[in-house]
Amino acid sequence: MAVYKRGYQRYQGPVTGHAMRLLAMPRYAWERLMQQRLMIVMLALSCIWPLLCAVFIYISNHTELWSGLGGGVSKMLEINGQFFLIFMNTQATFSVMLAAMAGPGLIAPDLANNALPLYFSRPLTRFDYVLARLTTLVGMLSLVTWVPGLALFFMQVGMAQSGWFGKNWDLGLGILAGFLMWILIVSLVALASSAYVKWKLIAGALILGFFFILAGVAAMINGVFRVDWGSLINPSKAMYSVWCWLMGVETPRGMDVSSCVGVLVGLVFLLGMVLERKLRPVEVIS
Amino acid sequence: MSPRFQMRQAWTIATIEMRRAFFSKRAFWVYLLALFPSVIFIGHGIDSKIRLDRYKSRGVVAPAALDSIRAGMTDQEVIAKLGAASEDDSHTSRKRERTGDDEDGKRKWEEKVTHHRRLAYFDGSRRANFWFEEGILRDSQVGELLNFEEDRSVFAAVFQYFYLRLAIFFGCLGIFMNLFRGEMLDKTLHFWFLAPARREVLLLGKYLAGLVASSVIFTAGALLCFAAMLWPHSPSEVAAYWQGSGMGHTFRYALAAMLGCVGYGSVFLAAGLLLRNPIIPAVVLLTWEGINGFLPDVLQKLSVLYYLQSLCPVPAPTDPGMPALLKLILSPAAPASPWVAVLGLLAVTALVLWAAAQAVKRLEINYSTE
Repeated sequence: MAVYKRGYQRYQGPVTGHAMRLLAMPRYAWERLMQQRLMIVMLALSCIWPLLCAVFIYISNHTELWSGLGGGVSKMLEINGQFFLIFMNTQATFSVMLAAMAGPGLIAPDLANNALPLYFSRPLTRFDYVLARLTTLVGMLSLVTWVPGLALFFMQVGMAQSGWFGKNWDLGLGILAGFLMWILIVSLVALASSAYVKWKLIAGALILGFFFILAGVAAMINGVFRVDWGSLINPSKAMYSVWCWLMGVETPRGMDVSSCVGVLVGLVFLLGMVLERKLRPVEVIS
Repeated sequence: MSPRFQMRQAWTIATIEMRRAFFSKRAFWVYLLALFPSVIFIGHGIDSKIRLDRYKSRGVVAPAALDSIRAGMTDQEVIAKLGAASEDDSHTSRKRERTGDDEDGKRKWEEKVTHHRRLAYFDGSRRANFWFEEGILRDSQVGELLNFEEDRSVFAAVFQYFYLRLAIFFGCLGIFMNLFRGEMLDKTLHFWFLAPARREVLLLGKYLAGLVASSVIFTAGALLCFAAMLWPHSPSEVAAYWQGSGMGHTFRYALAAMLGCVGYGSVFLAAGLLLRNPIIPAVVLLTWEGINGFLPDVLQKLSVLYYLQSLCPVPAPTDPGMPALLKLILSPAAPASPWVAVLGLLAVTALVLWAAAQAVKRLEINYSTE
């Protein structure tokens, strides 16, 4: 083979900082996602429940609005761990739907169009690539999870009597920690699905199917074998148990928190393995 | 062209497509969805049979003696009545309890030691567990190892919550979306459009292929699951069931599974033609079907699930863990009569297929946008 004169010289100058390099991908991805009308509609829909919760907090803290309705109402309108747990549950559902819309477009097109070698020819490792994609989803899902959650918490702190924060500061911490764990799981499922099937369409269905079908399988095992441990294979239920523990609410029957944490850690490890296996810049065609 | 000729064309297309729908690698997960409940029921059957043999080998007590045990009896009284237990284990728990404060204001603690004992018996069909604290019977649990009525109720729940809402739903999403949208992604749809057949005939052929594949897979899956549920029960119970309502129930479950494929299949086929992203109809339909029971009666009737549930012979039990507030607003509409259910679903399917036919006639392929 002829060897021609090499006119190309590798760039040897200073490179952008690592954090900035990582943020380049999410920056473009967020821009692209925000251009999708459907994503905006979904984000707007996700804000309805936090707004309703804000109204609930307002009513709860204005006793003059319901003082004539009897003593049982005050118990019903109490802002406690159970209230935030219901809020978290609803927003978690929206976060799965958002991930099913935003997630498939993050890795699948890169794999389908053989774009990975282009990424990895730059000063980016595979870990950086996954982290950048994860950051995209974390940023997107944060908008509907812990951000409104903490906004509601601080709204309650501002409106409640002075001692409320002292007694319930751990709820705020629970909202943040609980949602961050959930976002990690949902994002990893979305990325792994996107990497596994290459097709955006199927990846979206796989993300939805993962959560809904595993929930169905868990309920089926519990029903057929008359046990409670089947719920452990349902990541949503396992996470719910961890949230209950964080928010000081009684955990569901048969759901030991340490087992749930173990299952979730195992799931993260498994999804990490899928990403490690699928995200390779070369493909061996047999 | 006569309708008969067009049907022949549609069937030719269907036979070609069916091979793909049944045997492609992409269809593997559909089989998994359809057959997984059977695996669970077979596992339950094996587990029950093993436990039955094990308990029988450890001794059987008289049912009347088992029923005579009451709370408050001592462990010695129970052993005197029932004999040695098939399982007998005990442990001691220690718990620190605050008893109050002393004069200096320091907390006073006392260690409480409790002796626990569990005795287990079997009367040939029922398994009983008795829990004692300090030798006194505090709690008991008596349950049949194999309960036919309970298993039928569990199957009804599995069929309605897993098969209809999840397996058939996602299975049809995969199969029917793949018929047109999959071809667009593979950049092969234009080959079909070059065939000398009208687009509506192509649509019908593809729909038939998806329908045959999904109906066979999911109806067979549901029937296999039903057989697996019946298998561990005593032959006399099963024979009595077949002589009674058994055959009718089997037929109605098979019909519901098949009509589920008819209804969801048409919706997802049309969605595959009208929308580029299948997640949107999937999410909308999943949400709509999920909140079905909480909607007013009129709106409940605008869902596929309402008609399918009307065909099911045994009502599915509600989730006992459902919050009280949700239980309060849950108001399932009265089921439709079987004829209305079947005709309603077929009418909706015909309407959706007509809309899909209009869409496929106007369809222009632009692979670059996929």
